[in-house]
Amino acid sequence: MENLLEIKNLRVVYKTERATGQALNGMSITLKPGESLGLVGEAGAGKTTTALSILNLLPRAGHILEGEVLFHGKNVLKMSKKELQNMRGHQISMIFQNPLTSLNPVFTVGEQIEMVLRHHLHMKPKQAEERAKELLESVGIPAYRLHEYPVQFSGGMRQRVGIAAGIACNPELLIADEPTTALDVTIQAQILELMKLLQEQHKTSLLMITHNLGIISELCENVAVMYAGRVIEYGSVEEVFAHPSHPYTRGLLGALPDMEKNQERLTSIPGTVADAQNLPEGCRFHPRCEHCMEQCRSKQPYPIALNHRHMVECFMYEGGDGQ
Amino acid sequence: MDKKIILRRIRHSRFMIVGAVVLVFILALSLLAPVVCQFDPEASSIAERLLPPEWLSHGMAGHILGTDELGRDVFTRLLYGARISIMIAVAVCCSAAVLGTALGLTAGYFGKKVDMVIMRAMEVIQAIPDIVLAICVLSLLGPSTLNLIIVLLIGRTPMFCRLARNNTLVYRNAEFVKASRSMGAGRAHIIFTQILPNITTPLIVQLSQAFGSNIMIESSLSFLGLGIQQPQPSWGNMIAAGRKFLATDPWVCFAPGVALMLIVLAFNFLGDGLRDVLDPKRT
Repeated sequence: MENLLEIKNLRVVYKTERATGQALNGMSITLKPGESLGLVGEAGAGKTTTALSILNLLPRAGHILEGEVLFHGKNVLKMSKKELQNMRGHQISMIFQNPLTSLNPVFTVGEQIEMVLRHHLHMKPKQAEERAKELLESVGIPAYRLHEYPVQFSGGMRQRVGIAAGIACNPELLIADEPTTALDVTIQAQILELMKLLQEQHKTSLLMITHNLGIISELCENVAVMYAGRVIEYGSVEEVFAHPSHPYTRGLLGALPDMEKNQERLTSIPGTVADAQNLPEGCRFHPRCEHCMEQCRSKQPYPIALNHRHMVECFMYEGGDGQ
Repeated sequence: MDKKIILRRIRHSRFMIVGAVVLVFILALSLLAPVVCQFDPEASSIAERLLPPEWLSHGMAGHILGTDELGRDVFTRLLYGARISIMIAVAVCCSAAVLGTALGLTAGYFGKKVDMVIMRAMEVIQAIPDIVLAICVLSLLGPSTLNLIIVLLIGRTPMFCRLARNNTLVYRNAEFVKASRSMGAGRAHIIFTQILPNITTPLIVQLSQAFGSNIMIESSLSFLGLGIQQPQPSWGNMIAAGRKFLATDPWVCFAPGVALMLIVLAFNFLGDGLRDVLDPKRT
């Protein structure tokens, strides 16, 4: 099947007056129609930068040095303003992290959803209102609340409104940037249920950005683990969670509490996240890696396929375990 | 914001009610001046000069607030003077608000060089005192109503511009702006639909206070002989003309003085009231 989205060897830096931070260093992923991919990594791994690059919405300080983002085979980074504005919200839409600030306080939730419908689908006001009501119902908000303002909604409700606006035009790709981070645990579960349901109904592809491994296993088919601006391990969720291969992924999974074992302390990965302004030579993870070898210090590892559903960037698997 | 909440707050805000009532009263009187007044505001009649106020002893037919040194009815001139002052204030403040807001939005949204150029220009204007700027320009171009409006407009614009620009900066990077951009919104939509409605409240308050101070400055200029010219009445030139008779016939000065005080106070009350009523953080 044709790829819906393909990011090839993307390199993005953030330039400020004082320093240059390397946010993405050869990021590559592919997404097929209807697929749900989880993007996981620590803060600063480049997850949000990836999402913004897909929409070509990097902040002014962000510069794309090389690579391409292909959506339906067309390079998003070379699109005209008009093409971009038609694509955003219509074919690709995004759900933001903080529902409390991602809605405009001066418009009713109905008006905000209707704006999207009228802009992209050129609906008449009446028609847009009807559709907005349906959308609100589909995310579990009674239609009569259409004329209320965001302040009258709780955080979870506002995120539902955000999702309703996101799916308003039936996008082919929905990017969710940590949509549940700002919500409490019970609401998180509801929102995830909702997203799963909507994704199945509309056959939308989903790019789920999170640092919560639980969400990934719940919602996604495939997972890409990011570290310092690269995907270091990629594969189906079952495969990666059952056989984590990169030392970093193992560390991440090892840091989760296990219900069955009687643990005194949780294990942690030594050291801190690689500094984007001063990345280590070779494998970015080597200063924190317990299996660090000589070549890790100088050479960037390349992707090694462990099987057809599992890829890892680590010299440990060179020659041996791979095919 | 909800209309019900705003209405309830207005009912509880005494300052705003007082300000609004006084203003409506002055506005209605001055608009109805041709109906209310029996006299010509500009025709002099030397025989009747400097008559003391008769108050309402002869009804509307008498010289309610007396006459001035040329025998013109003070009350009539007061009402006609109010018309011109209010007209200038409305013209100046509304155009300054529109111009200042447009400049402020542009500066705040685009930032960098655009911001630099616009804001430095505003600072240059603000560095010159209003009155001094007006004296310079009006003595060069000659005093006329249009020149007066232009001069006052230049002086009023920076405060709207600064206010709009600072609030635009607050919202420019708000998440809902990013969200609407990710939904395909263009630049114009973001500036006018997403940002503008969020910054109007302080601008409305500023506008209402600008009316008051604008009437004040216009009167000062007329007092100095640079604004409205005799025989056309203006509160400023009425005070200027009457000050020679302050010791003997004080009503010629007092009537426009008190009127000026009342209207400025009323606009300030209204402004303060509006600030409280439209305050989004108030519980």
